[in-house]
Amino acid sequence: MRPGFGGSAIPVGIDVQVESLDHISEVNMDFTMTLYLRHYWKDERLAFPSGNNLSRTFDSRLVKKIWVPDVFFVHSKRSFIHDTTMENIMLRVYPDGNVLYSVRITVTALCSMDFSSFPLDTQNCSLELESYAYNENDLMLYWKNGNDSLRTDEIVLSQFFIEEFSPSSGLAFYSSTGWYNRLYINFILRRHIFFFMLQTYFPTMLMVMLSWVSFWIDRRAVPARVSLGITTVLTMSTIITGVSASMPQVSYVKAVDIYLWASFLFVFLSVIEYAAVNYFTTVEEMKKLQKGKLPAFDAAQAMAFDGCFHDTDIELTPYPQMTNLSVNQRPPSQNSSCITDPPPVVGTRLRRGRPIRHHLQLVMTNSYLIDSYSRLIFPLAYLIFNIVYWSIYS
Amino acid sequence: MPYLPKLLFLLFCLILVGECGKHKSRKRRWSGTLEGHKHGAPLAKKVVDGTKTRKVKTDHLLRVDDHDFTMRPAFAGPAVPVGVDVQVESLDSISEVDMDFTMTLYLRHYWKDERLSFPSTTNKSMTFDGRLVKKIWVPDVFFVHSKRSFIHDTTTDNIMLRVYPDGHVLYSLRVTVTAACNMDFSRFPLDSQTCTLELESYAYTDEDLMLYWKSGDESLSTDDRISLSQFLIQKFHTTSKLAFYSSTGWYNRLYINFTLRRHIFFFLLQTYFPATLMVMLSWVSFWIDRRAVPARVSLGITTVLTMSTIITGVNASMPRVSYIKAVDIYLWVSFVFVFLSVLEYAAVNYLTTVKDGKERKLREKAKEQSLSCTCGMSHTRTMMLDGTYSEADANSLAGYTRAPMATEEPPEKQERMVVHLALDNESTKKKGIHGFRIIQNTHAIDTYSRMIFPGAYIFFNLIYWSVYC
Repeated sequence: MRPGFGGSAIPVGIDVQVESLDHISEVNMDFTMTLYLRHYWKDERLAFPSGNNLSRTFDSRLVKKIWVPDVFFVHSKRSFIHDTTMENIMLRVYPDGNVLYSVRITVTALCSMDFSSFPLDTQNCSLELESYAYNENDLMLYWKNGNDSLRTDEIVLSQFFIEEFSPSSGLAFYSSTGWYNRLYINFILRRHIFFFMLQTYFPTMLMVMLSWVSFWIDRRAVPARVSLGITTVLTMSTIITGVSASMPQVSYVKAVDIYLWASFLFVFLSVIEYAAVNYFTTVEEMKKLQKGKLPAFDAAQAMAFDGCFHDTDIELTPYPQMTNLSVNQRPPSQNSSCITDPPPVVGTRLRRGRPIRHHLQLVMTNSYLIDSYSRLIFPLAYLIFNIVYWSIYS
Repeated sequence: MPYLPKLLFLLFCLILVGECGKHKSRKRRWSGTLEGHKHGAPLAKKVVDGTKTRKVKTDHLLRVDDHDFTMRPAFAGPAVPVGVDVQVESLDSISEVDMDFTMTLYLRHYWKDERLSFPSTTNKSMTFDGRLVKKIWVPDVFFVHSKRSFIHDTTTDNIMLRVYPDGHVLYSLRVTVTAACNMDFSRFPLDSQTCTLELESYAYTDEDLMLYWKSGDESLSTDDRISLSQFLIQKFHTTSKLAFYSSTGWYNRLYINFTLRRHIFFFLLQTYFPATLMVMLSWVSFWIDRRAVPARVSLGITTVLTMSTIITGVNASMPRVSYIKAVDIYLWVSFVFVFLSVLEYAAVNYLTTVKDGKERKLREKAKEQSLSCTCGMSHTRTMMLDGTYSEADANSLAGYTRAPMATEEPPEKQERMVVHLALDNESTKKKGIHGFRIIQNTHAIDTYSRMIFPGAYIFFNLIYWSVYC
């Protein structure tokens, strides 16, 4: 039976020294902490006569014989009292009946984490202590020294910076059993951004810049520009998968997701841009062919560009069959056997009669302008995106 | 008178019966022996079993029930000195991600408890196992900063208790403990880590229990066969200090320190060597003809992709630290080299296109003015055969070179001058020639890159390895 049974509530002071924060897991949304938990109360049945007023220290075997408060950790998943080489329990009894009871515990407790700003986020976790059996009328839990009750050893975490540790207390209501005193150990963790800068943001930026290289390569080099574009898309996809592997599968979008997907979009658009350039180049050359004003066909250079063998110096692009062309054209007489792919069979058809806006027509006739504009627009847009992103999240 | 012989006869018969009985039992024993011989087991001599006498019980011998062993020896008196001796059996694993290490050790305590002294003539100790531990007082040593630990209990608790007649006790147990070790990875993988295992009594302060290393520096012994796959164990040594807890006082703390140096070979093979090969592979691009656009672009971009994969692979097995590691520096500089080779080709290609465009315009002008030019020879067949675009083709297609050619005609000089004026913006003639040469021979960039990139990379390697080794 508790001290003062049937009478007023017994006050039990709590003092905590946090030894370490072992592990903070995003996937499980929990944290593991090792702490020394000390209880202070007075039990007159344990008073003993003493001449020199010194306390007596006992280890765990006395604990089974006397009454001790039954504090537990609310929302804990696993916990244990260390028991090597003996149970890490200390009992110190003073002559007037005051008792100091100290235990070393490792506890894994739940912490709801909000990842909407990951990895520029701050998490707020708390460890809650409460008596299991005794409610407010029987046992009053309180922090022994107020705000100084919570002490920490030098805790160093690799991924986080601990902003503050603070104790607080409250009452918890259970509808079936009543009001209980609850003590809280709150701590705020701020994530170090450096690892994610190096691992995620920096490779992403480099991939986007690499996709811009495509605008500076000659637009006739079809395989080169396509493989450049598609390989940067592949690398972006790999980076995205790599980041998601170590994260819980939350149902909202995280800050890192926004960055990765925006960058993915830029890289994707560079591939689409080249498809547009290529399409308009073909249209342009069809038109020029129509008018009979093709530039000098350099078979060797065309071969170097696209890997297809062009036998004669005929002023044609490698589209051997054409329909809907006007009468005064040179008959296509070109042997072309590609090393890699067979040439496309059907050429592009010319569009007629549809009214087109002036600058779009300009762009169509001069497809190199798409590249020229892209060289400015893409870097500028990405820079603006970065400025907006970092100003919002920092 | 006639009863006496009857009585004697009866007595004689009784004696005879008794003798027969003995004879029978002897026979039985004899047959038993025979049986024994048949089965091959010899009959052992019967030994007096000392434990079957009631007086020789451990409790009575040690008088455990006479004392209250919840209290330490010399309770309320001076501190009891407890000597500690450790033999490290193995270092099981060292985890960078969790920043801890796991060690198995034999932990021995030596102290004197007069309540356990017993009378003995031979002065020999008595040995007990784990079952006595629950009944007597033992020091409650724990490992500070340990995450998990346990006393091995196969097949029974690995605990030994040896009690000497004068009350000295030797208490030995076999423990596996996983303890935290703050590691500094700023020089990873060319780093050395120093880890410590700390022993302390949980309940008893400095005034109640004095922990000390029994034999000073020789208290710590290690098995010869301790070896780790990734580390070289440099040394083990012991220290002791006092630790202060504000609520409970001063405690004696003993430290087992050891230094580990990482073997570099695995990382050389796994990380440095592939990264170096990728950078060298990206230099191959400078030796390929600048007009082979798909080849050079895909070579550059694939080496970038591979470097990115290597970087991701290294970081998978590392903790997420907030500072830069030595291996990060190497990988990122290599990545930058590979990236620059892609940019270099973009520059070459762009300048080539610009130059080709200008030359085409000049050629068209020349055609309009019906000047002859040394251009347009079809070299496609030779190109298809050997896949290279030779210098002659470049010069001939360019149409105009600085060096005079055999088939040149005087009017070409005019063109050359036009070209010179058109393309040269520099003030001095020398600069102009140089600038013109750069623009004309864009593979001069390639030529310079062939020397600059390897030179710079070798220089970086020299600095890196001299700083970290």
